[in-house]
Amino acid sequence: MLQRFLDPATLASISGLDLVAKTVVDGFVAGLHRSPDFGFSQEFAEYRAYTQGDDLRHVDWNVFARTDRCYLKRYRGETNTRLLVLLDTSGSMGFGSGSITKMDYARYVAASLVYMASSLQRDAAGLIVFDEDVADYVAPSTRQGQLFRLLHAIEKVQPSARTDFTKPFIHFQNFLHRRGIVVVISDFYADPEAIVRTVEPLRYRGNEVILFHTLDPQEIAPKFRAPVLLVDMENEAETMEVSPEYARHEYRARMDAHIENMRTKARSAGLDYFLMDTGRPLDEGLREYLAIRRRMM
Amino acid sequence: MGLLTPWFLGGLAALGLPVWLHLLRKHKATPLPFSSLMFFERRTQSSIKHRRLRYLILFSLRMALLALLALAFAHPYLEQKLAPQSRAGEVAVVAIDNSLSMRASDRLAQAKSMAKSVVRGMRPGRRGQVLAFGARVEALSEVTDDKGALEAAIDAVRPSDTRTSFAELVRALKSIAQSLQAPLDAHVYSDMQQTGMPANFNDLRLGDKVHLEPHPLVSGPTPNFAVENVVAPHRVYDGGKNRVLATVIGYGTPKALRTVTIELNGRAIESKSVEVPESGRATAEFVSLEVPYGYNKGDVRIDSGDPLAADDVFYFSVERSDARHILFVHAPENNRGLLYFQDALEANGQHGFVIDPATPDQTANLAPDKYAFVTISDAGPLPASFETALKGYVNQGGSVLVALGHTYAAHDKVPVAGLTITGTRYAPREGDRFQTAAALDISHPAIQQDNRWDDVKFYRAIGVDPAGARVVARLTDDTPLVIDRQQANGHVLVFTSTFDNLDNDFPLHASFVPFIQQTANYLGRADRGPASVTVGSFAELRESAAKGAAVEVLDPTGERAFSLAEAVRAQNIQFLMTGFYDIRRPNGQNEMVAVNSDRRESDLMPSSRETLSLWQNTANGSVEAGGAAASGQKPLSLWWYVMLAVLAVAIAETLLGNRHLSVDQEAA
Repeated sequence: MLQRFLDPATLASISGLDLVAKTVVDGFVAGLHRSPDFGFSQEFAEYRAYTQGDDLRHVDWNVFARTDRCYLKRYRGETNTRLLVLLDTSGSMGFGSGSITKMDYARYVAASLVYMASSLQRDAAGLIVFDEDVADYVAPSTRQGQLFRLLHAIEKVQPSARTDFTKPFIHFQNFLHRRGIVVVISDFYADPEAIVRTVEPLRYRGNEVILFHTLDPQEIAPKFRAPVLLVDMENEAETMEVSPEYARHEYRARMDAHIENMRTKARSAGLDYFLMDTGRPLDEGLREYLAIRRRMM
Repeated sequence: MGLLTPWFLGGLAALGLPVWLHLLRKHKATPLPFSSLMFFERRTQSSIKHRRLRYLILFSLRMALLALLALAFAHPYLEQKLAPQSRAGEVAVVAIDNSLSMRASDRLAQAKSMAKSVVRGMRPGRRGQVLAFGARVEALSEVTDDKGALEAAIDAVRPSDTRTSFAELVRALKSIAQSLQAPLDAHVYSDMQQTGMPANFNDLRLGDKVHLEPHPLVSGPTPNFAVENVVAPHRVYDGGKNRVLATVIGYGTPKALRTVTIELNGRAIESKSVEVPESGRATAEFVSLEVPYGYNKGDVRIDSGDPLAADDVFYFSVERSDARHILFVHAPENNRGLLYFQDALEANGQHGFVIDPATPDQTANLAPDKYAFVTISDAGPLPASFETALKGYVNQGGSVLVALGHTYAAHDKVPVAGLTITGTRYAPREGDRFQTAAALDISHPAIQQDNRWDDVKFYRAIGVDPAGARVVARLTDDTPLVIDRQQANGHVLVFTSTFDNLDNDFPLHASFVPFIQQTANYLGRADRGPASVTVGSFAELRESAAKGAAVEVLDPTGERAFSLAEAVRAQNIQFLMTGFYDIRRPNGQNEMVAVNSDRRESDLMPSSRETLSLWQNTANGSVEAGGAAASGQKPLSLWWYVMLAVLAVAIAETLLGNRHLSVDQEAA
């Protein structure tokens, strides 16, 4: 039942992006994450014997009254993080062999992430929409109405221009002053080394960077019955006639090599990489995010 | 190769299916938007070409499969030639047609080449003979097993101008078979012209000793234009303009415009364009032919552009001369005969004779040599010197016409001819009181063209004993009326009645005019023959069978037709070449003969296969009946071979198709 609601084709029938995000997240999320730091919050964690130098303000005087020993009362502290979603809206994201395009899928993922971060975890969520330049920017915030601003920004994106990672990523660095989680959703049609080299500096600032490599099944393993005339979606002037044999063998090998290259380069640079097949449910992407998020606790 | 059920070839229409599948559908390439082409390369084009090639191979296989299936249903077969069982001592006869029609294109060369292949394929020791045939058959080699000699004989076959006669060939083959006492295997290389077939099919019957193998060089009709005929005067006596009528014929030709040109002595006189209807005739009339003195060579030619050029020209000869003199000797008191004779002769404008009348007294010093012929019209006794001169004149080839009337009734001999006069024959007093011509020898030149003497009444005639001379006409009481007596090289024609309308009413009848004219032409050797003759015709060279002075004949190439020995002995000549024959007789009776090919040769329509098969069977039937040998054709069915090919192609198609299907299934 849960899987059915996370199926991209099912989600495509839901009109509002907020509903899509709510459906996905409510069906998936199991709980909150905990802060790795102990602080003075409302949730009790444990008692610890007083040692010299401890702040007397944390001594539980009720326990001292009953036991005549000094114990410090410790609470589980909750920390907020910042989520910044970088959404690629280049022309190639408009490709889709099934009922939804890569762009739709990326929208669902982005919406689900910001919904989960904003509504459930009270994290500051932000959004940067880019293609060959920065198209839109919603600064991370926990203010009232932030979620709707984000969903609105996500909803209105349309695949249009070419992809150029260099220019937008240099621009991002100006926006990222605090550490947090950066999620890049893109099809990454560029040289993996160049991509990683461009994205890597985000990592230096203490951010956790997740690369969501969004690909259509037809891109991963194209299956043509006959020779087809392919038209480049980012440059319609460029066409090429391709035989099924080539698509079946050489193209697939090249695509696999590209994916593997992306994964290797990303991991060696300390980036998290996750291949998102638009033919598969969204929960895998969300689980990946939460695993990263938990690791940050 | 043939088909037993050819209507199944209609199944070839199914070939349209693979054409539609492969050629019409394949090129509907719809563009497909794709996210990025960064992992595709231009070199994939070659892969596509390779794939297309494979599709084309599959397409070809499918086409071949359907075509072979249709062919299998049509049940093809081959005419398998069964090698004839060799008969003991069989002689191979190679007969090559060298008639005029074989001049078309390279038919003769083709025939020679095919004939040589047969000679080369002969078993060692097998004997053969080479014949060339047209109107007559010519043996070009002896019966020999020397292949070199046979091939040389084939090379020696030259084109002729004669017409094809298959009947003549059959006669020759049967004659050879009979003389050799051996069976013949006759290979006939010819264009098998329909016009060469005899009217009676029995003339083609080969008999049991001759096996015929016809080798037709052509299968269908060949369009051909020809000058069919030219009507031109053979002799003219004045310098006026003459009329020539030429007929152009087309055999199997479309409607066309042809230029007809008349030439005289190699000089073009006039040209005209005529429109020849489809497979029809057209005539061109020339009225401006001016003929110089002497013998002239004329021809009419067309620009046909067809493969047979030999029949595009028609030769004619025309002679211009002055009128010749006739000595007419009559009794001084009787001019009536002269009057009727002269009127009859002058009834034709172009008679070419001038009559010199004379009485017997005036003839004493006359030399008859200068006259075309001499007429003695009931003239009575002649001076002895003149009669002697006349006899010498006749012996040298001169001619005398003698009309016998009452002045000779008391004589016992016919002058010059020396025939015995037996008395006078009168018509009976009872009955019709006249006699008529009862028996006429219509082959005689004097009455050849008009022999309607039925109404002519003869009241009196002089009885003459013909004494072996040719009796051309007799009266009802069997009295000879016209006697032709040959004396040495000359003739004496005796008319046992008169020309004066007294002893008969012959001068009052229409038949008198042609009789006088034909007699004058015959005796004056001025036969108004045609301006040309066809190849194969004969001409008489001398009157008597005895050896005489040489007759020179120059053929169209300018060579002497006879050796010296033949020239003094030859009685006649057969014209075998087209062109002009120049005949020079010792008595000055020279002649220029224009010879043209038989225009039946211009019709290039070949005989049907059925006719040839029937001709062939005239030998086969009898051979099989005799059980000596069997030869012929047996259909060899190709069905199994075609089905094996179908199986092979089907397997190949399946294998190749499966490879494509595997791609499609994977894509699905």
